Parts: sequence; structure tokens; C-alpha cells
Amino acid sequence: MSATDSNPLMAPTNPHAGIIKSTMLLGGVVFLLMMIFGLIMRAAQGGLLELDPTLFYLLLTAHGAGMVGSAALSGAAILWYFCARHLDLRGGIYLAFLGLFLLGVVLILGAIFVGQYGGAWTFLFPLPAISGGAWEAGAAVTFILGYLFIGVGFLLYYLELGLKISAKYRGLFGGLGWRYLFGGSDENLPPPTIVAASSVLVFNTIGIVFGAAVIAANIVNLLFPDFVVNPLFAKNATYFFGHVFINATIYMAVVAVYELLPDYTGRPWKTTKLFIGAWAAVVIFVQAVYFHHLLQDVNMPAWTLALGQIISYASGVPLIGVTVFSLAIYIKGSGLKWDLPISLLVMGTVGWGIGSIPAIIDGMLAVNKLMHNTQWVPGHFHIYLLLGEVAMAFGFSVWLVKGKSQEVMSGLDKLVFRAYMLGGAGFVLIFLWSGASSIPRRWAVHYEAWQLQSQLASAFALVVVLATTALVVRYALGLLRKA
Amino acid sequence: MQTTILLITLVLMAATLALILRAVLATDGPPPSDTAPKTRIRLLWTLVVFGVVLSVATLREWPHTSAGSDSMVVNITSGQWWWETDTTEIPLGQQVEFHVTSDDVNHGLGIYDPDMRLVVQVQAMPTYTNKVVHTFDQPGTYQILCMEFCGIAHHDMAYEFDVVEENS
Repeated sequence: MSATDSNPLMAPTNPHAGIIKSTMLLGGVVFLLMMIFGLIMRAAQGGLLELDPTLFYLLLTAHGAGMVGSAALSGAAILWYFCARHLDLRGGIYLAFLGLFLLGVVLILGAIFVGQYGGAWTFLFPLPAISGGAWEAGAAVTFILGYLFIGVGFLLYYLELGLKISAKYRGLFGGLGWRYLFGGSDENLPPPTIVAASSVLVFNTIGIVFGAAVIAANIVNLLFPDFVVNPLFAKNATYFFGHVFINATIYMAVVAVYELLPDYTGRPWKTTKLFIGAWAAVVIFVQAVYFHHLLQDVNMPAWTLALGQIISYASGVPLIGVTVFSLAIYIKGSGLKWDLPISLLVMGTVGWGIGSIPAIIDGMLAVNKLMHNTQWVPGHFHIYLLLGEVAMAFGFSVWLVKGKSQEVMSGLDKLVFRAYMLGGAGFVLIFLWSGASSIPRRWAVHYEAWQLQSQLASAFALVVVLATTALVVRYALGLLRKA
Repeated sequence: MQTTILLITLVLMAATLALILRAVLATDGPPPSDTAPKTRIRLLWTLVVFGVVLSVATLREWPHTSAGSDSMVVNITSGQWWWETDTTEIPLGQQVEFHVTSDDVNHGLGIYDPDMRLVVQVQAMPTYTNKVVHTFDQPGTYQILCMEFCGIAHHDMAYEFDVVEENS
């Protein structure tokens, strides 16, 4: 397979296009299924349907793991696709990654729906081993092994990216652009996609290693209950891994904007010192910020909590000041003609930026005391996932099957886009309102006074599910048309 | 307080969105002026300076209040799926230091006032005792709800106590 470095309009000739298209179809279907799970949960909280709490928590676990998994899978597919424009990547490695990922998914689904494991996707030690009779140790081990296989797949994936980037750009420092940043020559300067890939592979590899450590500790604890780990240490490792991993999904997906927006605007997304500096900040911030998940763990050293708040705010600076600002500059006055792919990609970037605001506010200690683990939390992460990463993933998908004649949005495309955006906005705003109403997150049964919000959220969720169904069907038909 | 937080958040989100959309939707207008890079640098510095001011203003007085010498200690133990305290009555206006732990998995102590507003919370973790300080300024029946997912009866983990005026 040869690298395709020059022409950005190469969707049909990308050597990995076939497997990437299949991956995006899988990701899209799982997104849809998980949204349906989400709708069922909100409807149950709203008293609109009867749902056994045990089943609710199984759906909650599946929804969390499935959404994060689909975001990771689609992000990885996008990054791989565009890295293949610049690097000679081996398709076999991607297949191995995908195989390990799917094996992990099978184990996770089996653990949930056969083994009745319902400990949530960010399980905290020692919950997997102390289920109160809900599941056996075997189910928890199976669930955790699923994570392990997915993690191994990602390490393999990043190893391939790292090797190829190092070979082409004279080491990872070259790929990160740090040599140029610190006064080196701009010769062989990596494109934005490679800077992003280098950054993500650095911080997500570290995150996965920490995740593997806590996973191993849980497995040993499940098999040999006398072995225990410090629960606060385990919590640190879990949130470090979880935070880094979910953020990596968005940072992988955003390369679709770097690569595709220039096709629409005629203005290439450039690798500047500011761009490299922003990504260097991301590498540090995304790892240092996880303390903001522990602001109510008062046994943590005070400086870690202060750092969590400060870095939480700082993380928004490169996002809004560089990525979102650049997006606006590249688009303004460009003559861009809106179609469904670019509309979704731009919405994803803007949604990501806007979603950081309630997250930053929740990252303040004084606020966190009142908002932590209320529905404010799913409020902010659904903004930068549902209206961020997932929108980018669907934008990329519909671009993959875009016909040459489809230059503007059809009436149906406009309807689907608006339904997704407005349904999604309504859905996430109700989460924020619910958080401000002190409604706790992850409760299977809501008190009557809390049910109005859940009922309204269910209506918006239904709109999102319908719009997503249309996106998945549109993409599947596009694949059939192109086949 | 929560309503204020919500309103501030919504205003910031709306203002940011309006600024972005002004540029993003102006595809057929003039291109960005030559001053755009300077505008960006000004924006970045503004964000940095605002962040420093915000951090100092909100962290100078540490948000996790320390207990005074006359505070009342209330021990709370949690487990799947129960709370246990050494008192069910707390005097109005009395500063209380809650010592919170767990017998099994992680739980979250969330104290709700009679209007079902969350007034304070802290994590409950096995092998650790987490301390949180609060002064109750409204009499009535308060609820303790679990804020950290702890298994299939997480939502059933509720407990009540009363805040009473001392002469009552």
C-alpha cells in the first residue's frame, strides 16, 4: 500500500477506504443502538415505561461502554484513514486492532447481558467484586477482560502510527512538531493530522497503560479476594484512564475537520507554531486535568484539587482560542457551500467547544460541591460527545459516500441535520437543567418531582434517535450505491 | 446557587456560540481581516488573564471549609445500600463536621435540604474517612442520597435526619 500525500480529494483511492467504511457503519449502528438504550433509560426515569432497576443498570453499563467504545472506534477509524494520506500504514495492523476490538465488545456484551454485570463503564474498585448478589465474579472478569483486549488493540494501533511517524518525521518529536516549535527548521514539517496523531498516541498510550494497571488489579482481586489495592489509588488510575481515553476519541475525530474543511474552503489547515503549541498543551493538560474528577475526595492532597480546577479551565484555552477560532477564520468569507458532511463536522467542532464551558464550570471546586454526580455531568459530556465527536463521526461517514453531484443539502438532509442538532441541544440542555435541580445521575428510579425533566428529555431523545436512524440509513444506502 | 450557576453557564454558552456563528455563517461575506491573528492573540491573553483572576478568586479561600473548634462531629457509615449515623438531629446554625466512610464500595454522601436542593456532598470510600463541614441554616427534614453509583439499589440509598431549632 502506498502513501497518498498530495491530493486531499482522494476518498475513493485511499487504500484503507473499504475497511474504514465498514468500521464507520458498525460504529454508526452501535451509536444508534446505544441512543435507543439512552432513550429507554430517560423514559424509565420519567415514569413513561416500567423498567426493572436491574435492567436499567445493565443498560446504563452497556450505554456507557458502548458509547465510549463507538466513539473510540469511529475516532480511530477517522485518524487511520487520514493518516494513510501521509503514512504508509499496514492494513493488517488495523485488522488486528479491529479484531481485538470486536473480541472485546463480544466479551463486554456477554458480561452484561448474559452475566448480568452492571457495574457501569467507569467501575470503581472494589465494586466489580462486591455486587450485592447482582453478578458473579466471572461476569466481572469477562467485562474487564473485554477492556483489556480493546486496550491491547489500541496499543498495537498506536505502535504502528508511532513507528511510521517516527520513520517519516525523524522521531516522535518530529511528528509532534516540537523540534520546529523549539527553534528547529520547518523542513519536513508534519501536517496537522500527523501532529494530532502523534499527540494522541502519546497521551492515550499512557492512559491505556494506567487503565491496564487498574484492570489487572481488579482481575486479581476478583480471583483472589485477599488481594486488595488502595481504593483511592485505584480511583485515580480509573479516572486518569477514563478521562484520557474519552478525550482521545474527540482529538482523533477532529482530524476529519483538518483534512476535509480545506476541500470546502480552499484554505489549507496549516501547521503553525501556535497550532503545535496548542497540541503540546493538550498533551500535558489532558493528562493533568483528571484530578477534577476527584474534587470530592478530600483525602487527595489539596494541590491536586487546585490543579484539577486550574487545568480544567486551561484545557479550554487551546480548544476555544485555537481550534474553534481557527475554524471560524478558515470558514469566514470562504464561499463554502454547506452540505451534510461539512455541516456535521462544523457542528461537531462547535459543539465540542461549547460543551467545554459547563465542564469547566463543574471543574471549579465551589461549584463541584453542588454539581458533582448530578445530571450536570452527563449534561456537559453529552454536549461534546453527542454534538461533538458523534456529529464529527457522522459527518465523516456521509462524506465517505458523498456523490459528486451532491454539492448542497437536500431538503431531507436539512431536516435530518436540524433534527439532530435541535433534538440534541434540547436533550443536553435538559440534563444541565436537571443538574441545577440537584437530580443525581445514574439513578434508575426518579422521584415524581424529577420526572418532568426526564419526560421532556425523552421527547428530545426520540428526535435524536430518529435523526440518527436517518443518518445511518443514508450512509448504508450510500455504501450500497458506491458498491 | 444552582440556578445562578445554570444561568451563568447558559449566558456564557450562548455568547460563545453567537460569536462563533457570526464568523462561521458569514461564508459569503468578506474574508477575515488582516487583524485576525492579533485578535486571536488578544483572545488567548484575555482567556489566560481571566483564568488567573478566576483561579485566585475562587481558590484563595479554600472551598472545602475547615471545622472550627466548636463544631459538632457526626459519623456516617455507608454500605450497600444503607446509611448509618450517630445522630438523627442536628441543631440549627450548628457547624457540623461529617466523618464519612464506607464498609464496602464507593458511595457518595449528598445532603439534600427540605426543598430537595443538594447543599453539600463528599465521597464515601472504604478504608478512608472523608470529612466535610456544613452549617445548616434552614430547619426541617434533610435527606442523604447516594451520589456515587454503587450497584443495583443505588437509587434506594436514602436516609433522613432533622435540623431542629435548639429551643424546640
